[in-house]
Amino acid sequence: MEDLKKQIIEQLNLQEVTPESISNDQPLFKEGLGLDSIDALELIVLLQQHYNIRIANPEQGPEIFYSIRSMAEFITAQQTAKA
Amino acid sequence: MSPIYINGSGCISPQETATGGLLLASLREYEQVRLATVDPDYKQWIDVKQIRRMSRVVKMGVGAANLSLEEAGVAMPDAIITGTAYGCLDDTGVFLTKMVNQQEEMLTPTAFIQSTHNTVGGQISLLLGCNAYNNTFVHRGFSFENSLLDAIMILKEGSAKHVLAGGLDEITNYSHDILTRFGLYKKAPVKTMELLNSPTRGTIAGEGAAFFTLSMEKGDHAAAAVTGLSTLYKPMWEGEVIGHIVKFLEDNDCTPADIDLLLTGRNGDIDQDEMYEEVAAALFPDHAEASFKHLCGEYPTATAFGLWMANRMMAEQAVPAAAAFYGKAPERLRKILLYNHHQGTHHSLILLTAC
Repeated sequence: MEDLKKQIIEQLNLQEVTPESISNDQPLFKEGLGLDSIDALELIVLLQQHYNIRIANPEQGPEIFYSIRSMAEFITAQQTAKA
Repeated sequence: MSPIYINGSGCISPQETATGGLLLASLREYEQVRLATVDPDYKQWIDVKQIRRMSRVVKMGVGAANLSLEEAGVAMPDAIITGTAYGCLDDTGVFLTKMVNQQEEMLTPTAFIQSTHNTVGGQISLLLGCNAYNNTFVHRGFSFENSLLDAIMILKEGSAKHVLAGGLDEITNYSHDILTRFGLYKKAPVKTMELLNSPTRGTIAGEGAAFFTLSMEKGDHAAAAVTGLSTLYKPMWEGEVIGHIVKFLEDNDCTPADIDLLLTGRNGDIDQDEMYEEVAAALFPDHAEASFKHLCGEYPTATAFGLWMANRMMAEQAVPAAAAFYGKAPERLRKILLYNHHQGTHHSLILLTAC
């Protein structure tokens, strides 16, 4: 999850944010980290670039990108399914 | 032309123009062929969550616009008009580089969204929450002049009371390399305070943003008004430019004798400066002349910096030694004529009158 945090900070150019300042269960959008719809697109690209994962069903987006933990669990599940 | 008052102005440039104080009190001298802006702390105007997506030119524009509105005491303009020749080059470069490197796959949206020419005008309106008229002019060396013309027309129509208008351009590594290949710049670094006497071809590259809060009503901080604006594209010879200036002055009820200071866009390129020599010799032989491109560098919207400087000279009723090129300006500055040409093709005249 620490690597994922670093990747998100780099991809979204989050300033004054460190991996330590993001908790695993903190919401990424709105009241949490404050990400918006453009960031959602960036996160989709991040999954493709770093993990070769495409989101087949866009309706899953809010669930997958809810927090660092939900993203990490989704990545793990996808990688396990591929293996 | 009815006076269009400059009720506020803001500038971010290679000089310390964003910090207030007397004009050029802290002169920045360089010895290089490319000048970069002296950036203020943009976080004073832009939230940290929003600043992460903004390239330098966007931040420059937002900063200069805010300085201008703050000086004018205007919270919400009735129109936002920007002029830029190159637009958001940096993000264009990022987007195109990714497109090539990633073979048009997995492209991220941010750089694309931020790469359009009207991004700056859009960001200013988003930050202000301003839903009023918003336009961007991309007309090479006339980009700023046409934004100013649009502002003047809107004010005269009465459809706006306060218009925010400005010009801005940035230089990036890509654009500098390409323009260098065109032979636009000096082959060796030159001291900026010696640029205007340089005996070689080429000039120095620059960048910056200057915004003006304009109105038909004089504000508390207004020192000058724009009382004339004209452009001339691709004149055949010097005589056409001289004739155009004479006609411009006539149209604005004055003669060369009424001009207290000629402010020119000399840039140290012996070929391009010849036009300024011809104009000065023919119409303003005994006039004081000042210049501005040795302070900000050459870029298509550099006249915005020139107008900002002329306005400050009016406010201070003084021509800083670093800007003076020839002669001594009279004690009282009433009219300043700003004459600039970009690449010998885009000629513009702006008449500024004290108020």
